Amino acid sequence: MTSSPTPSAAPPGTEPPHPPRLRDWINPPGLGLAIGVGLAAAVLISPVFVTPVWVLMARTLFIALALLAVYTAVERCPEARLPFGWPRWLTALLALPLAAVLATLVVYLVAVRGDIVSLATQADRISGFLITAFAATLFGLPIALVAQVRAREQGVRAERLAFELERSRLEKQALDARLALLTAQIQPHFLFNTLANVQALVEAGSPRAPALLGSLIEYLRAAMPRLEAAEPRLADELKLVRAYLALMKMRMPDRLDWAIDVDEALAGQRFPPMALLTLVENAVRHGVDPMEDGGHIRVQGLVDAGRARLSVLDNGAGMAELARPGTGLSNLRERMTAFFGSAARLELSENRPQGLRAELSWPLPVPESRP
Amino acid sequence: MSALSPQGAASGASALIADDEPLLRERLAQHLARLWPGLRIVGQARHGREAVALYEAETPDVVFLDVHMPGLDGVGAARAIATGAAAAGRSVQLVFVTAFEQYAVQAFEQGAVDYLVKPFDEPRLAATVQRLRARLADAPAGASRLEQLLEQLATRLHPPSAPAAPRLQWIKASVGPVVKLIPVDEVIYCRSDEKYTQVVWTGGEALIRRSLRDLQGELDPERFVQVHRSVLVALPFVSQVVRGDSETAELHLRGRPEVLPVSRSYTHLFRQM
Repeated sequence: MTSSPTPSAAPPGTEPPHPPRLRDWINPPGLGLAIGVGLAAAVLISPVFVTPVWVLMARTLFIALALLAVYTAVERCPEARLPFGWPRWLTALLALPLAAVLATLVVYLVAVRGDIVSLATQADRISGFLITAFAATLFGLPIALVAQVRAREQGVRAERLAFELERSRLEKQALDARLALLTAQIQPHFLFNTLANVQALVEAGSPRAPALLGSLIEYLRAAMPRLEAAEPRLADELKLVRAYLALMKMRMPDRLDWAIDVDEALAGQRFPPMALLTLVENAVRHGVDPMEDGGHIRVQGLVDAGRARLSVLDNGAGMAELARPGTGLSNLRERMTAFFGSAARLELSENRPQGLRAELSWPLPVPESRP
Repeated sequence: MSALSPQGAASGASALIADDEPLLRERLAQHLARLWPGLRIVGQARHGREAVALYEAETPDVVFLDVHMPGLDGVGAARAIATGAAAAGRSVQLVFVTAFEQYAVQAFEQGAVDYLVKPFDEPRLAATVQRLRARLADAPAGASRLEQLLEQLATRLHPPSAPAAPRLQWIKASVGPVVKLIPVDEVIYCRSDEKYTQVVWTGGEALIRRSLRDLQGELDPERFVQVHRSVLVALPFVSQVVRGDSETAELHLRGRPEVLPVSRSYTHLFRQM
């Protein structure tokens, strides 16, 4: 499906998320260092040469810039494209002396105007060539390796910063979720409608009044934010969901049927509060309630291949392809990931013959010891 | 009640109650029986459609309408009832019943249609009953005014949402016997596979029976970009673009190991990024 590019020493066009500009390729400190070292090297080796210092300077400057270019290319090359899978430091260690020799060769070829024979036969030219190439390697290699170490340190620092950023983002998310719990959990519309039903039963002296009040108290107690944060369990959540469904059943007795069937083994599992309730409320509000004849809601929980699967099924209105997903579902997906890790899932599918199925699933912890 | 009352003078006034919650219908009926013994309840409706049908059949003087009902809601039913009444030259008194809904209450106050907020107490209902009896005794209010009022109410309660382009939010995909609903925001890329399209999202992959071109027309063009004759990719999931030989490129993805091809005619998309 893809044409695999041949690895090459030349810098391939790698593009980080923000694609490169020329500016990314030229770093002023590196350039300054190369020029400085190039000029200093010319001064240092000038006693050995008869050539005027400014010519030497032009040569060493050219070699220094060539080395900088090769170094930058090695640094920018993506890991996978380094030749023969060598580590970056080894590539630099081999490429830089090679570049030093080649760049010096270019300088000397220019000096003799391409007359290779004269270059190869004149002893002083050969020794000059060797000294220059040696000096270039001597200066270039340590500087390059130190630069590489520094770059690595910077990379580590950037990584740590990114990590901190991610952590504070998650902390903020958890805080937001808590705040949402504190403010919007008990919807006034739901509460007052339910109270109107309680009022009706009480006034009529109905024997069903205490049961409805009991469910309301159960629901409020579970939905109320608690400050002493005991490890939340699925059993608590199921209590809340039962109370909610019992209330809704009382309010719409001819339009709602419900059943909860959850494997006992799951009851003790850690579970993010309100996660199941969100799905059940959705099933009532968007599934069953819009239907004139109502519908039924089934909550199912089972263990399947090391994963917990908790589903809410309704036979209501279902989901239109163009229905804008509320923030509730994406928040829930994020909360599941924050709570159970990236292997947690929230999946929606159509229920047969109609309605919606929403399934939460997450990997169960492996029992610590087995008899 | 005046003997000159235009309607129901001889037999007493009549009313219809519409609410999807039976306990609340029953309670309202009981309180009305105590506060307004002459009132005849002609029926109780469980939703808006039933309310309209019962109104047409019984033509009561007063209709109590729960705002939140399945199918046709209270405001929708009120409009249908008012239109029917106006066409027949009758007048009808409407009372909306609602649980805590600030906006609804505001709308009703502006609209001068009577309303009750659940849970209501008897003195509040008594005040409504008094107003209704006074209005029934008076000459009927202009029916056209009521229709106008309800139209305003409807727009207040359901402000017309901006008519957005029909963008897909969920892709329905059969995976075995299950039809999954894939949230479009989680889709990483789509690849054409003859008559089918392979959809890859954060939760897996599936084949759907729609052509890529067909799908592309319903997706947000800012988010989904064609990078190859047969590939549509969601930009937020692109992690790296690697330029290859002869003007082609490859896309590396967030959270997926595979690499997607960018063909020559689409590489310009990534040049300026």
